[in-house]
Amino acid sequence: MNSSEVVKGLVEAKNVTKKVDTQEGELIILHPINISIAAGESIAITGASGSGKSTLLGILAGLDLPSSGDVIIDDQIITQMDEEGRAKVRAAQVGFIFQSFQLLPGLTALENVMLPLELRGDKSAKSKAENFLTKVGLASRFQHYPPQLSGGEQQRVAIARAFACNPKILFADEPTGNLDSITGEKIIDLLFDLNASYGTTLILITHEERLAKRCSRRIELEAGALIVSEMVL
Amino acid sequence: MLAFHLLHRNWRSGELKLLSFSIILAVTVLAAISAFTSRLQSTLINESNSVLGADYVITGSYPHNPDWDLLAKEKSVSFTRAAHFSSMVFAGDEMHLASVKAVDDGYPLRGHFDVSDYPFSVDAREIQSVSQGPRPGEVWVDSRLLPLLKIKIGDQLAVGEENLRVSKVLMSEPDSASPFSMFGARVLMHYQDLVATQVIQPGSRIEYKWLLASNSQAQLKQFIETIKPQLTQHQRISDIQSSQDNIGRTLKTSQQFLLLTAMIAVLLAGVAISISARQFSDRHIDQVALMKSMGASANRVRQLYFTQLMFLAAIASGLGLILGELLQQIIAVSVQKAYQIQLGEADWTVYSKSYLSGFICLIFFALPALWYLPSVSPLKILRRELKVLQPQVWLQSIFALLAVLLLVIIFSRDLKLAITLCAGLLAVIVVSLIVAFLFLRLAKLMIHRLGGFWRLAFAALLRKPGQSLVQILVFSIAIMLLYTLVIIRTSLIEEWKLQVPADAPNHFLVNIPPENLPAVKELLKKNQIRPEPIYPMMRARLIQINDVETTEEQRSTINALRRELNITWAQKLADDNKLLAGQWWDQWTRSAADVPGVSVEMETAKNIGLKLGDQLTFSIGGLIVKAEVASFRSLDWRSMRPNFFFIFEPGSLDDYSPTYITSIYLSKPQKVLINHLLQENPSILVIELDRIIEQIQKIIQQVSDGVLLVMCLTLVGGCLVLFAAVISSVDNRKKEAGLLRALGSPKQLILGSILVEFAVLGLLSGVIAIIGAEVLLLGLQAWVFKSPIQPHYIYWFLSPVSGVLLLMFMGYFSCRKIVITPPSIILREAN
Repeated sequence: MNSSEVVKGLVEAKNVTKKVDTQEGELIILHPINISIAAGESIAITGASGSGKSTLLGILAGLDLPSSGDVIIDDQIITQMDEEGRAKVRAAQVGFIFQSFQLLPGLTALENVMLPLELRGDKSAKSKAENFLTKVGLASRFQHYPPQLSGGEQQRVAIARAFACNPKILFADEPTGNLDSITGEKIIDLLFDLNASYGTTLILITHEERLAKRCSRRIELEAGALIVSEMVL
Repeated sequence: MLAFHLLHRNWRSGELKLLSFSIILAVTVLAAISAFTSRLQSTLINESNSVLGADYVITGSYPHNPDWDLLAKEKSVSFTRAAHFSSMVFAGDEMHLASVKAVDDGYPLRGHFDVSDYPFSVDAREIQSVSQGPRPGEVWVDSRLLPLLKIKIGDQLAVGEENLRVSKVLMSEPDSASPFSMFGARVLMHYQDLVATQVIQPGSRIEYKWLLASNSQAQLKQFIETIKPQLTQHQRISDIQSSQDNIGRTLKTSQQFLLLTAMIAVLLAGVAISISARQFSDRHIDQVALMKSMGASANRVRQLYFTQLMFLAAIASGLGLILGELLQQIIAVSVQKAYQIQLGEADWTVYSKSYLSGFICLIFFALPALWYLPSVSPLKILRRELKVLQPQVWLQSIFALLAVLLLVIIFSRDLKLAITLCAGLLAVIVVSLIVAFLFLRLAKLMIHRLGGFWRLAFAALLRKPGQSLVQILVFSIAIMLLYTLVIIRTSLIEEWKLQVPADAPNHFLVNIPPENLPAVKELLKKNQIRPEPIYPMMRARLIQINDVETTEEQRSTINALRRELNITWAQKLADDNKLLAGQWWDQWTRSAADVPGVSVEMETAKNIGLKLGDQLTFSIGGLIVKAEVASFRSLDWRSMRPNFFFIFEPGSLDDYSPTYITSIYLSKPQKVLINHLLQENPSILVIELDRIIEQIQKIIQQVSDGVLLVMCLTLVGGCLVLFAAVISSVDNRKKEAGLLRALGSPKQLILGSILVEFAVLGLLSGVIAIIGAEVLLLGLQAWVFKSPIQPHYIYWFLSPVSGVLLLMFMGYFSCRKIVITPPSIILREAN
């Protein structure tokens, strides 16, 4: 097992661990993990269920704090910040795509894409949202609500929302997990096309081999430990 | 602005409908009740003030200071004057002692006269309401004066030295509660004619009145305070509260009840707001987690939701105010039609307070449920199973109590009412917690022995103990408040009606000579009038207690020692008298002093400081009679029967010559009997109480009907709250029902379990509610309404039964679709 790499990157994890207390005693979810992800890289985090993939993603994205170790995003040690500080980093640098899309059902497709722009006070939220929805092929679905969209369409909206804020880093948690293979394929293509256009650093969790193969690097977790970290040829 | 956009989007998605509806309901009910009660109060006060003929009256044995007229004009206070006196009136050879009132222009300032061209008329078409008295040179007379003096409309009547033309029959008038009005037939004349009558001579007994009224009560009160120091010892000021104990009490308790109703309405709406806010916040956990993952800080989230709430409060309160005003107008129109009265204007502060209460309700009832939202972790978006810290029920309860306190103080400034309400709520919260805890423990033990829908129902209650507790609490509070209202109203109405029972005697016959008694009895019998017990009566003065002369100080401070009293004797204890100490004549025996016994009224005995066995010395027309205190009694002055402070042992005063007294009930057409009675027995004094009784009954009727209307409004609000609470649980039930249906459970099983669940909740809530209600009622009866404290056993049965039936019905109504809709649709909707 190779659990450490020492290269300065846009996103770095240094000796990051995660432990939780249970009735049976202390449970180690992540053993000390060291990763460095360069700007523009696309990295797939793979592993069996319960290997700690989502936990690692949450820590790298600043949604959670490790039990020990540091996470650095663009030279900022986010693990030493409070939640307000981490929120600022997320607002400026990070976008998300989720397995269950996480669209707000009461908002139209357009309003869902506008939301992160509005949160940061962007005056041209509407035009930008319209632009991105068009880019993902949903120009005719601006006023439709998520329940009126298919799974693939909902994920497109989610992708448009994630890219609308022009993030430096995009975290994706099983982006094709709820989609059939054909739709999933299209979503993967869209994701990587946009990623290439905007030069975003992509960090995604996936079970799918075809998605992992599209990334420039793949790391594998097993029982909370980094067991594989290799470039994809 | 983003908050406004989010509000619009949340509204569009239906998230805010229940919350905004609850706020609108709270403000609507509060505005309608407050505005209506404000109008009703000002009308009741005006109506009641018609008993005085004004808002304030300055009465004295001399005319008022004319300088005050200018002062009153400066303060925009309306005024007029009147004079009361007794005088013989003449028509040809006939004469009669009449109660005369001379009134100036502008009288009455409140109320009106009812007059007719036909004596003893009961036909509404023959009776006119007028707002001014007779013109100079004219008189209006009592119906019975016409046959008594053998005159008709248009004839002349001499009052003192002045001849006046009889122009109308006087059917009713304001200010009929004056002592002068009760003795003798009434005559109404113009003040300008008073001098010409020459009845005002040195030593004449005349009561002068200066009557005051104003649209601005504040200015009027200020004016009264200005002239109070200038009053002589022969003058006194009265208003309705001080001059009419029973009306004053009725008004005060009606005000308090109406306020209580308004507060209960707000509380009920507050409960609905709490429920819907909790539901709203549960549904927004994901949205907040998502926003935080996008970089929104906790403060930003807090600011966005708080701003949305304030916008919502502003809009919903405005709508509530408009609807409340419409509702109040509808009620007012129907009341005005029903009672032929014109309701006054509502105080404008009622509207601003109602609008403000929307914000208070939102902040205190909704904010605690939403306060935790900003602290939702963004990790929730990845970890669906992550627990979110939710507000504790106890914290929400504290805020609810604070809201009650604040609102009661704003609307009533009645701290006792506020504290009593809070105490009742606290009682129900504590009892709910205890009962819920015990029940859930019991349910855990019992569940294994149950089957079918009983098992499902208990399992559902046990699965979410927090939700079960909240539901029990909400239902208990709602049912408690509704029953408190109903019970209080019922007891108030009973108490008010007892003040003047419908067929209570309304005339006293006094000074019946013993030789005329058989003839009087015969006349009453012939006319099918049953007299109350007839008592012998004499005048006596209590001069010594235990052979010690009463002192000057005692005579100046104790009413019973200051003047001559009416004494009597009786074999039987009257029905409305209750023996409190000592013995009645059938058991009492004379002591060694061998003097007759005397039974004393309790309050009088306390004032004088008497004990059983005390020796009393009376002077009856200069003759001395000694007696021993044999017993103490309470009596009921409201029974309208002759009542006495001192009742002697039968036979002890046989050597004295009494007159006799009784009371009778006469309807309007029967009043002509008084003429026959007086013609055959001219020494008899007839005291006519029918007019004042009628006025009191009318006011009581208006108050109790107004109270009923307002209470019905609140009851509707209460039912809506219960419904909201039931509906709020439908979301959770959908998923469970869908799963059970998908697994093959029959509809009857699911519906049966829902009904059992609600029946259990209804039973528990009904029991807790009546416990809370009794605690609340204890406080209200003891400190606020000052009415007799008593338990309400019938409601101990009604409350649980009605809780079960009501909640079962609501549960069925709200959940019936769950069992008939295909499970796939239910599960899709639930997810």
